Amino acid sequence: MLDVVDVATSYGKIEALKGVSLGVAKGRVTCLLGPNGAGKSTLMFTIAGILKPRRGSIRLDGDEITGLSSAKIVARGLALVPENRLVFPQMSVKENLAAGAYQRRDAPGIAEDVERMYSRFPRLAERRDQLAGTLSGGEQQMLAVARALMSRPRVLLMDEPSLGLAPMMVEEVFRIVADLNREGVTIFLVEQNAHMALKVAHHFYLLEQGLVTFSGEPGKLAEDEVIQRAYLGSRRAEA
Amino acid sequence: MTKLAIDLVQNTLDGVMVGSSYALLALGFTLIFGTMRRLNLAYGPTIMAGAYLGTYAFLHLGFGAFPVAVLVLIGAALAGLYVERLCFRPFAQTAAMASMVSSFAVWMQIEEAASLALPRHLNAFPALVSGSLQLGPFFVRLDHLLMLAVAASATLLVHWALYRTRFGLGIRTVIDHRHAAALVGVPVTRILLLAFVLASTVGGLAGFLIAASEAQITPMFGMWATTKGLIAMMLGGLGSVPGALVGGLALGIIEAQAQWLLGPHLRDLVAWGLLFAVLALWPGGLMGAAGVDEAAAVQRRV
Repeated sequence: MLDVVDVATSYGKIEALKGVSLGVAKGRVTCLLGPNGAGKSTLMFTIAGILKPRRGSIRLDGDEITGLSSAKIVARGLALVPENRLVFPQMSVKENLAAGAYQRRDAPGIAEDVERMYSRFPRLAERRDQLAGTLSGGEQQMLAVARALMSRPRVLLMDEPSLGLAPMMVEEVFRIVADLNREGVTIFLVEQNAHMALKVAHHFYLLEQGLVTFSGEPGKLAEDEVIQRAYLGSRRAEA
Repeated sequence: MTKLAIDLVQNTLDGVMVGSSYALLALGFTLIFGTMRRLNLAYGPTIMAGAYLGTYAFLHLGFGAFPVAVLVLIGAALAGLYVERLCFRPFAQTAAMASMVSSFAVWMQIEEAASLALPRHLNAFPALVSGSLQLGPFFVRLDHLLMLAVAASATLLVHWALYRTRFGLGIRTVIDHRHAAALVGVPVTRILLLAFVLASTVGGLAGFLIAASEAQITPMFGMWATTKGLIAMMLGGLGSVPGALVGGLALGIIEAQAQWLLGPHLRDLVAWGLLFAVLALWPGGLMGAAGVDEAAAVQRRV
């Protein structure tokens, strides 16, 4: 469904991605693990069209989307829930959802989807007129997911959705990931929390220093080692 | 009513009328600052370019007030497009200084061009209506009343566009969080250009109303419009739409009172003193506290 072939992205002279190739299968949860600084968020931004790759190709359902603007990529059916959520802090919950549907023009369908988001996330319904900047971290994460869903994506990219959340909220986030996937949304998930991520993922990749170094399915023997590598890198970086 | 009370109310009335055009100036300025997060020193000269186009057509082609108004708006919009392409589009958002300095260069360029087109320092500008209306002990100039009506309608129209249209939603997402706006599919570069042109057109309308009430224009009008717009915007708070209205009206009223109390020569001095006092004591402006909090919130997130 989403194919990344030999993608390299640089910040000035620093090469953050050195030729990444991976695939996200339709209807599946694919997870990208790796220590801090491995290039996970860079890959997400590159796929979403925020960063332009120096080389390589990104295809959505076989159509080339490399180099398209982020607006066009959203219109093609790919949405990103960014790290740190990045909701619109001075806009209400309702307006955040409307902004998520910016590329759509079917007003009745949009209104229906807003109601659908409210029933899926009752907390957002309670706070629909509240400024997003005043929501708790967990509520902002719900809003960021709902906002991305408002574009009716075929593929949903999620960058560290559990970051900085209380353990109960983390459980909630992964429950939402599993629910969405059950409803048919293809998900590409970046996580530091490898244990949780591997519970919902059908397939995973390990990214280290800008390269995919391992790929497989959860539950196999190699998993332990991969978790070690993903974690040890992050633990060291945090210490 | 005592003589003092009558004078104070009369000054306030005058201040609200003139302040309505300041508010319109500040509205355009704040739309540019809010979306770009950079200061456009060529804002006033952009308006002056439009006004000069109008006055040229008035003097040499015999255009009436209404076609001149249309020309002023078109001229300001085109000049705004020019400034955006030249001073803002090529530089990254973080290169605020490059944009500011190049907008200063464009300011000088527009001023030179205006002087070359119409070499006399002072040029006639078509007046709208003359006469005044008496309401009890108070007098209101008819052209000021018209100014208030047009400025209020234009403000309502901009407000409607910002809060009820898809384009307005795009502008507000860019003002609130440019990066997130790109992520949800707002074409940020296009929105920036359109907001810039819209803001320049709003400024052009303010410029037309002011020049028409003065019935004259000089190349210095560009600098005048930048400074008045800047003070009104700073009073209200950078990048805040309600702030622009409050700041513009407050500036108009304070100037009118100062002129009555201290004389016309000290009027601008009071305006500048006021700007300094607000920046020193209340850096977010009267309505801009949220903007300051937002900056702090972003700092915390990073």
